[in-house]
Amino acid sequence: MAVGRYVSDLSEGDVLGPVEYVVSPFTVREYCHAVEIDEEAFLGIDNQVAPPTLVHLDKLKLYEAACPAGTGPTARLHIEFDADYHRAIPVGERVEVTGTVSERFEKRGRTYVVTLIDMRSKETGDLLVRYRDTVILAYRQSAADETRGAA
Amino acid sequence: MNAMREQDGAADLAGIEEGQVFTSRPKAMTRERMRWYVDAQATAVANDGKPRFGGPTIHDDDDYALSQGLPGIIADGMVSTNWIMALLIEAFGSAAVRSGRLRTKYVAPVYEDMMLVCHAIVTGIAEEDGKRVVCLDVWCATPDDKKVTVGEALIRFPLDARGA
Repeated sequence: MAVGRYVSDLSEGDVLGPVEYVVSPFTVREYCHAVEIDEEAFLGIDNQVAPPTLVHLDKLKLYEAACPAGTGPTARLHIEFDADYHRAIPVGERVEVTGTVSERFEKRGRTYVVTLIDMRSKETGDLLVRYRDTVILAYRQSAADETRGAA
Repeated sequence: MNAMREQDGAADLAGIEEGQVFTSRPKAMTRERMRWYVDAQATAVANDGKPRFGGPTIHDDDDYALSQGLPGIIADGMVSTNWIMALLIEAFGSAAVRSGRLRTKYVAPVYEDMMLVCHAIVTGIAEEDGKRVVCLDVWCATPDDKKVTVGEALIRFPLDARGA
């Protein structure tokens, strides 16, 4: 187990969380405004819902809880987003998020980490989103044309 | 493009067919757009009703990006993922966020001021577990078709959806 310090220490089998929070209208509006999801259902008042992409930030909440020392010595690079979502997430819903580091492996001199994250309704236990996140840890660009995306 | 494509609470599949293509308007990945995401990320993680400034990250801080061996700041991949999500919402309305799957992989860096266009093409419409499922390939590319983000999406509709 490698929780308790840097994100770059995480290893296969590490459990992150759970973290619990209420999906707030403010957070959904700020997030959707920033990424230009500008439908009223996300930015407005009536029947406001969160986009499933917001689950990506649950990873950061889990990192913050499990790895209080931060990212580590070098930047982390996000490689893949993969979310399966099962119903709309209304604002005001209390959710519980847990993560498990399912893989840590080396490829072409870089360290990849895959984290599986479940977001569930706290009240009903219903699975809302199952997210598979892939990052490169301890990223330093050795060749610009190998760069993938962003952290 | 329409607003949320849903009327009277009924999901709407009318007019959706295999091979149909959806395309966003071009957007420039300005440093402000990159920073908006960094700040929104910090705001969302804090989740206390107060806006936050994030960073420094490789998305908003030139010196930090250079220190990491990058030629300059690069966009967070989630920006293009969300732009694709926005395109799916424009095309399919609330169904796009109700039940489905979105997978995106970042295959090339997005540097400051690159122009990007998001695309989605319907690759199939199937029945699965009592739902009508629309399958799409999605991607984000420069105007000269250099792909930076690629992936797939599924959108699940109830079998009684309009047009199903």
